[in-house]
Amino acid sequence: MSDEFAQFQEAFFEEAAEHLAIVEEGLLALEQHPKDLELLAKIFRSAHSIKGASGMFGFNAVTQFTHKMETLLDLLRNGEKAVSPPIADLLLKSTDCLKTLIEAVKSGVAVDDEVVQRLAAELASASGAQAPVVAQKQAVAAPTQSEHQERSYLIKWTPPEWLFQRGLDPLQVLKELNGFGELSSVTLDMSRVPDLAEIDPEKCYLSWELRLLTGKDLKTIEAAFEFVREDSKLVIEEEREALSVKRETSESGHDTRFTNDDQRAEDGAPKPLGAILVESGVVSPAVLEQALSQQKKVGEILVEQKVVTPQQVEQALQKQKQQESAAQTKKTDTASIRVDTAKIDKLINLVGELVITQSMLSDLCSRFEIKQLPVLLERVAQLERNTREIQERVMGIRMLPIGTAFSRFPRLVRDLSTKAGKKIQLVLSGEETELDKTVIESIGDPLTHLVRNSADHGLEPPEERLDNNKSEMGTIRLNAFHEGGNICITVEDDGRGLNRDKIIAKAVKQGLIGENEKLSDDQIWPLIFRPGFSTAEKVTDVSGRGVGMDVVKRNIEALGGTVSIKTVTGKGTTFTLKLPLTLAIIEGMTVRVGKETYIVPLLSILESIQPKAGTIKTVVGKGELINVRGTYLPMIRMYEVFILEPEYTNPMKSILLILETEGERVAVMVDEILGQQQVVIKSMEQNFRKVEGIAGATILGDGTVGFILDVRGLLEIARHGTPIAA
Amino acid sequence: MAAAALETATKELQQQIGLTTDGNQFLTFNLGEELYGVDILRVQEIKGYTAVTKIPNTPSHIKGVLNLRGTIVPIIELRTKFSMPTIDYTAFTVIIVVVVRDKVMGLVVDAVSDVLNIDKKDIQPPPQFGAKVDVSFLNGIGKSNDKLVALLDIDRLLLDDEMQNDTKAA
Repeated sequence: MSDEFAQFQEAFFEEAAEHLAIVEEGLLALEQHPKDLELLAKIFRSAHSIKGASGMFGFNAVTQFTHKMETLLDLLRNGEKAVSPPIADLLLKSTDCLKTLIEAVKSGVAVDDEVVQRLAAELASASGAQAPVVAQKQAVAAPTQSEHQERSYLIKWTPPEWLFQRGLDPLQVLKELNGFGELSSVTLDMSRVPDLAEIDPEKCYLSWELRLLTGKDLKTIEAAFEFVREDSKLVIEEEREALSVKRETSESGHDTRFTNDDQRAEDGAPKPLGAILVESGVVSPAVLEQALSQQKKVGEILVEQKVVTPQQVEQALQKQKQQESAAQTKKTDTASIRVDTAKIDKLINLVGELVITQSMLSDLCSRFEIKQLPVLLERVAQLERNTREIQERVMGIRMLPIGTAFSRFPRLVRDLSTKAGKKIQLVLSGEETELDKTVIESIGDPLTHLVRNSADHGLEPPEERLDNNKSEMGTIRLNAFHEGGNICITVEDDGRGLNRDKIIAKAVKQGLIGENEKLSDDQIWPLIFRPGFSTAEKVTDVSGRGVGMDVVKRNIEALGGTVSIKTVTGKGTTFTLKLPLTLAIIEGMTVRVGKETYIVPLLSILESIQPKAGTIKTVVGKGELINVRGTYLPMIRMYEVFILEPEYTNPMKSILLILETEGERVAVMVDEILGQQQVVIKSMEQNFRKVEGIAGATILGDGTVGFILDVRGLLEIARHGTPIAA
Repeated sequence: MAAAALETATKELQQQIGLTTDGNQFLTFNLGEELYGVDILRVQEIKGYTAVTKIPNTPSHIKGVLNLRGTIVPIIELRTKFSMPTIDYTAFTVIIVVVVRDKVMGLVVDAVSDVLNIDKKDIQPPPQFGAKVDVSFLNGIGKSNDKLVALLDIDRLLLDDEMQNDTKAA
């Protein structure tokens, strides 16, 4: 398994843990408020995310199980079933089971099939479907089957004496073997090592006895010894008994197994007695194994003595398992970032420069005369350059190429194409585009949904494509590029495009729009981002339940980005995600209204104009529209929305900013444009709360606070009025 | 005997210089003729009044926000909050920065007064005026010499109020 793949698996486990937490928390809350649909939708989305991602990695047991949970959740969400305590209980139990399943694929230990199957059957019966039990069995048994094919080999290896002379390292061989599976015991035989006086440091006197648990065959294992084979004494035996012993001890969650000492040593935990005895050569591994196999489990002994009931033991064991898994998740929970040393060196140089500039400035200030003003100005300018450069470099540390988020898709698309029986090629470009780490981490989910969507709904089956004079092979393009202060990511397919009539029909059915409402394309396409909106006729494993698109929109908007759709019937659909480069700093235009300074995010500004007389018209006496090169745009007077005292109330004297939000354009009236600058976003919620129309605050050059405009919010207030009437 | 006297003396001295609080030390401040007190452990700092940035569409007692060494801190004018007439700010006008749960907020008051030790026995429960006067944000009435100090429950006063607005806005 390549490093890269392992890295993505790591990401999946992290994400899954998060989603599981959401599901669990949601279910617990649901028990209190069984009618909360919002909550159900949230649980459903998280379950769906787990299903999707696990499918991508081929963790079938997880996918299948989650699918069953999802089916039940879907019924609850649609109101076809009511949330009752037994159902909530079942779902919670299933969540625990799911946790175990995920933990199992992570650590490679076997799962208790019985529990999984029982729960799966319960879920199915609660969903009212008589699910084929046989199919389930196969599904859950799948990952464990490969485990049973694992064999245990006893390897006795005495390397040739010339090993070191040829520059070979026995450790390499051991490492390679460990890569094949689990090197459960390593015993070093040092009996041949002579007295110190007689030692020839270039000779190898050592030999090993190894026990390897692996799914690989004998040939592969032998190949590991290829370079050292000559003159080696090598015996590789397959052992059957030992394997079964090992299974038993590990499956019971037994405390005294002597395998896995590496892990224990890493943890700093003391080694079990058995391992120490073997190491010191008092007993052989085989003797120990036999002794262990006779040893009874604490629980069994207690049950025999009638101190506890088997059920109590079962509960205690479950608890132990949970604690084990909890401990494992804790270990992986630290977020870290890998930084190029060159980047750090550069940064250190810059800090050096900064210190020099600062000392020059203090020196100058200590004996300042007015004639030195030009020198002062120059040094301040230098300080500014330094600071800006340091700022950029520090932000750069958080930047990663987006390729890390992209590279999980080839596999996904491959699997999707086989599953759906379509021919799909994936074209990636712009992988080197750098993006903030947090942003990269959060776009994984939305992108996955979009790609799945394109593969499942967007692209047609091969026959249909041929009928439409298209090549049999469908194409999905993922592209990332810079645009202004933004990163744009496009997911493009050459499929059938969005079906206008179907969307309208579905929207009417769901009561989102009236039957005879006339809507423009730009108003129709965003409907697919509504929760529970899917036009797919068939609910498949992949999509069609109508979660996904709303997740996409939510996640992207949470990052301060936007999603837009372009589609041509029969030609394909393009989703464009526009994201800020970083979350902490934005490029903004400072504007003045009366005495107040506001910052308008540069990415929402299309242009600024000074209106000419006669370009502003009103409808129904109030709604103002401005003619911008032939298009009438609604005009918002910012001082009216925020109740400020402006310098100008006459639009002819003021400045109009043409802003764009979610594809809508408006003209916002301000007194004056002060300039353009990068601003650091400060949270309003930290000490206060969210304020409508304001995205955040920042510290202006003079130390006072300025607000960053939330264009969407401003529009909402202008339309619907404020919650707190003034 | 001498030891006991010394102990009492030390205690008095410590209280004077503010080393012990007994949990009953209050920072008192003036609003007009009235004297109010907040638990001193909740006070982060006191700073002179500087201009704030008004937050649009918020109730009038929320003066605005202030840059306090890089964090954005909302400033509440207590006079307006208590529906008292506003006055022009003077050199004595200060902002008392308090910590309310995990939030930092500033209160504009006419002037800070003393730090007072008020014994538990000198604190009586808040008076009841019925619907006429809302005193739900008082913890009690403290007596110190001949002064009356209205002891504020700042959690109730500030946080509940903001939360209410929040739900209304949502």
